[in-house]
Amino acid sequence: MTQSLEKETDTGVPAGDPTSQRSTLARRVRATATAYGFMGPAIVLVLLFFIVPGILLLVLSFTNLSSANFSDPWSYIGFDNFSRLFSDPFFPKILRNTAFYVFTTLIFFNLGLALVLALVTTNIPRRAGFFFRLVWLLPRLTPSVVYIMMWQRIGQADPFGIYNQIVPGFLGASGGNLFLGGSPWTFVILTNGFVGASFGMIIFTSALESIPKDLITAAKVDGASLWRIIRDIKLPLIKWPLLFIATYQTLSLLTSFEYILLLTEGGPGLFTTEVWALTAYKRAFSSYFGNSQWAFGATWAIVLVSVALVLAVGYVKLFKFNELIEEPRIENL
Amino acid sequence: MRVELDNLSKSWDGVVGADKITLDISDGDLVAFLGPSGCGKTTTLLMVAGIYKPSGGTISFDGRVVNEVAPKDRGIGMVFQSYALYPHMTVFGNISYPLRIQKLDKAVIKDRVQKVADMMGIGDLLDRKIAQLSGGQQQRVSLGRALVKEPQLLLFDEPLSNLDARLRLTMRGEIKRLQGDLGITSIYVTHDQVEAMTMADRIAVMSKGILQAYDVPEALYDRPKTLFVAGFVGNPPMNFLDIEVTRDNGEFRAKSESIDLILPQERAEKAAAVKGKVTMGLRPEDLNLAEGTSGHSGPTLSGVAETVEPLGREDLVGVGINGVEMRVLVDKTRGVRVGDNLDLQVDPSKIQLFDPVTENSLLWA
Amino acid sequence: MTTAEISPPTHPVAGLPKAREKMGRRFAYGFLILSIMPIVVGYSWIVVATLSFRTEGLLPRNAEGGIGGFTLSNWDFVTDGAIWNAMFNSLLIAVAMVFGVGIASTAGGYALSRMKFAGRKAFLSMTLVLHAFKAEMLLIAIFFVLRWLGDIPIIGNFVGFNSVGGVALVMIALELPLGIWLMKGFFDNLPWDMERAALIDGASRFRVWWQIMLPQVRPGLAALSLFTFIAGWNAYLVPFTFTIGTKVANMPVFLNQLISDTAPTNWNQVAAVGLFQMIPLLIFFIFTQELLLNIYAGGSKGS
Ligand SMILES: Nc1ncnc2c1ncn2[C@@H]1O[C@H](COP(=O)(O)OP(=O)(O)OP(=O)(O)O)[C@@H](O)[C@H]1O
Ligand SMILES: [Mg+2]
Repeated sequence: MTQSLEKETDTGVPAGDPTSQRSTLARRVRATATAYGFMGPAIVLVLLFFIVPGILLLVLSFTNLSSANFSDPWSYIGFDNFSRLFSDPFFPKILRNTAFYVFTTLIFFNLGLALVLALVTTNIPRRAGFFFRLVWLLPRLTPSVVYIMMWQRIGQADPFGIYNQIVPGFLGASGGNLFLGGSPWTFVILTNGFVGASFGMIIFTSALESIPKDLITAAKVDGASLWRIIRDIKLPLIKWPLLFIATYQTLSLLTSFEYILLLTEGGPGLFTTEVWALTAYKRAFSSYFGNSQWAFGATWAIVLVSVALVLAVGYVKLFKFNELIEEPRIENL
Repeated sequence: MRVELDNLSKSWDGVVGADKITLDISDGDLVAFLGPSGCGKTTTLLMVAGIYKPSGGTISFDGRVVNEVAPKDRGIGMVFQSYALYPHMTVFGNISYPLRIQKLDKAVIKDRVQKVADMMGIGDLLDRKIAQLSGGQQQRVSLGRALVKEPQLLLFDEPLSNLDARLRLTMRGEIKRLQGDLGITSIYVTHDQVEAMTMADRIAVMSKGILQAYDVPEALYDRPKTLFVAGFVGNPPMNFLDIEVTRDNGEFRAKSESIDLILPQERAEKAAAVKGKVTMGLRPEDLNLAEGTSGHSGPTLSGVAETVEPLGREDLVGVGINGVEMRVLVDKTRGVRVGDNLDLQVDPSKIQLFDPVTENSLLWA
Repeated sequence: MTTAEISPPTHPVAGLPKAREKMGRRFAYGFLILSIMPIVVGYSWIVVATLSFRTEGLLPRNAEGGIGGFTLSNWDFVTDGAIWNAMFNSLLIAVAMVFGVGIASTAGGYALSRMKFAGRKAFLSMTLVLHAFKAEMLLIAIFFVLRWLGDIPIIGNFVGFNSVGGVALVMIALELPLGIWLMKGFFDNLPWDMERAALIDGASRFRVWWQIMLPQVRPGLAALSLFTFIAGWNAYLVPFTFTIGTKVANMPVFLNQLISDTAPTNWNQVAAVGLFQMIPLLIFFIFTQELLLNIYAGGSKGS
């Protein structure tokens, strides 16, 4: 022990000594370097695949790059792409579609149903709860193509559609005739919701399970009903996961389009179920007369990313995420 | 190792953890940091350990400032209230961890761990998982892990507060004996003043981040320098009364609505100089039931027993004297009941007097 | 406890808790069963479809329109080498992601939860704000980044455009914000004293992370790994956009090629391939379902 102490003598000089100040600085640099060492892999990946692409996207949106002129140097065309975007006759429709799609799916499925499922499956015997959650997770495990194919089969017209084969038999003719072509939004929201709800369900279940049993017992002893226990104890205690899922799912829904692409391609007809993210993708990657308009697609994307950014920052501020950040209780010397 | 704290302070924007702590720990001493919850004991200890960085002041080991030395290079061992054992390792894994980091020879590690474990009485538990141990055994492992490095300074943060009363008593003795035998300088944080009184060579009493007193246990008990120390040291706690000290006919008297006592001159002289109220302190053990009419000396007070708490050998009786309650220790054989009229005999030589404004002692300032 | 005294029945039905509970149970099961109907029906169809020539609703039909027409021919693809190659690529991407996301998230999450350094707060809000950039939106730009990476000598062969490594790298990055945020929540819940003890015992921060803290967050890491594995195994958009040709195709890309390459598409075969792709996940899942429940341990803290 004495040995290790003596080794340190050079740094253990009284404060005020100039060498001590230098070593303080050196230590601080070293401590920061350690932290950044831990952050390193994350920082590199975020830079490469978030920051740089984000900037590129912005740059692209001021050019006319497309697969037709790919070999040319990018040429600057000012705000042309933006004015083209905002004067698009379908722009208002796409905007409305996006808002409708995001909020309906979020409220009814990704947040609402997720919470209900978590609450219900944690209030029945454990094994049964596991079973239902497992079934609910299946859509997430399924390849998107197959999953969508499944819904298409459910929603097809007679005689191929499963819904139309089963349900009218129970409900009479009035229950019939639900099919994909006739009510595309129902199916767009159902397909997304049935995958989206499971994420929140798992997070909420996990959070609910980690509530100390004593609290629930105490409330029961006080004579609280099931509903009161949920409202007064469980919900407040899972406030943060709720807010997190709200934020996370809003942003996810805003920028996701894979299922819609596979289910309806934005149709049927003109832009019926087209959402913003899908437009961006189509502009960039589906060719119009053999030409992928990368720059124009990037413009749609950058506008959407900006909206998402504003929302994300808004959520961060609204929920005061910063105040939740605790100071570390080990300090670097 | 000698440890000196000089104006050691710690604050987190606005929250004060420790405020200008200055004290000097002699080589081989066990010093207790005593104080109520939140007074800054842990904060100070963690600064000594090198986990917290002081906002001001210095820490010196054997005269060398160690403010900038990393925890691992300070030659310390620490025992935590939560034990802080590594749950995924066995007992051997835990105790040997500091040595394994030093990359010592396997045989040496084994030998040293076994020796420490035997010393702690857990030599046959080395293969157990932590979860399979009782609280007391876990505490021994934790102590073993701190000792195996042969530290020059041992830090304890309320190590016994999670144990049951009986075990606490045993461990208290064991730690004290170990510390004495090995002669390792130790700092022992506790909020239990009995623990501090019985174990420590010196006690640092803290309150709200400030060091209130630093002295040997008897001195803190007999000659408390502040009202806080007087109230915190001693169990059951001291009784306090607001009185006025007057002097007539060369006789000093402590007077209030409920009391009229004659005070010994050597204690009362300084208090008489204070205009207005003075706080008088009397320990429950310095009040006795007057033995009927048998001859006795010293002033007496009369009142009614309002509460009786049996403590085993003695009863703690709350006596109401004209609206003021005084706690008194009474031998159980007296069989005091609630409602009994009692005469209390005061030992005037034990009376403490404090300035109610500065809260400093008028006797030992 | 003298509960009877403090809490007299406040509710008229409190006297019949058994009946009420039973009702509630029934209602709960009814709701849950109803909620999974589309899933149950959908998967029933998949199973039926993979074993028959064609279907009407849930019923298999033979050439004459009667019930029947069972066949195993939809499963012929299992003897084809291409699917095994695709499966290997899927496995490669998924495993690379599990390791990549695991390492970067536990390291980053640890630093954000436990260390003091300049920029900590900014990084913390960033893990949330980054969710605004989804893969889907950045594809165009990432395309250019991958091409640049591909131009770097040596490394470029592994991580550039049209390589499994490149796809894995992109996927790892895209999963990171969630991974870091979740792992930070787990580290937040660990006691400080254990880490302090390790530092005093002589461990460096790296050693503390690796030997002391990581073992404590194993349940969380397992859950995160599971989610990451699923995401990697089923990844479609990124591999599809950044790979050309069957050599680097993973399962979902293979599946989509199957749809576009054959006309008319044999949907029953597509269903079979899809089910085949799910089998490893399902097996994996049945054994690890309890682990998934550990994904969130943030308690009252803000993770
Ligand atoms: N890391 C920290 N950040 C901010 N404030 C802190 C921190 N650590 C301690 N404090 C504050 O400093 C004060 C002293 O705390 P400390 O833990 O030293 O008390 P203590 O005497 O050990 O109490 P206890 O007996 O309850 O353990 C408290 O008010 C506490 O809230
Ligand atoms: Mg403490």
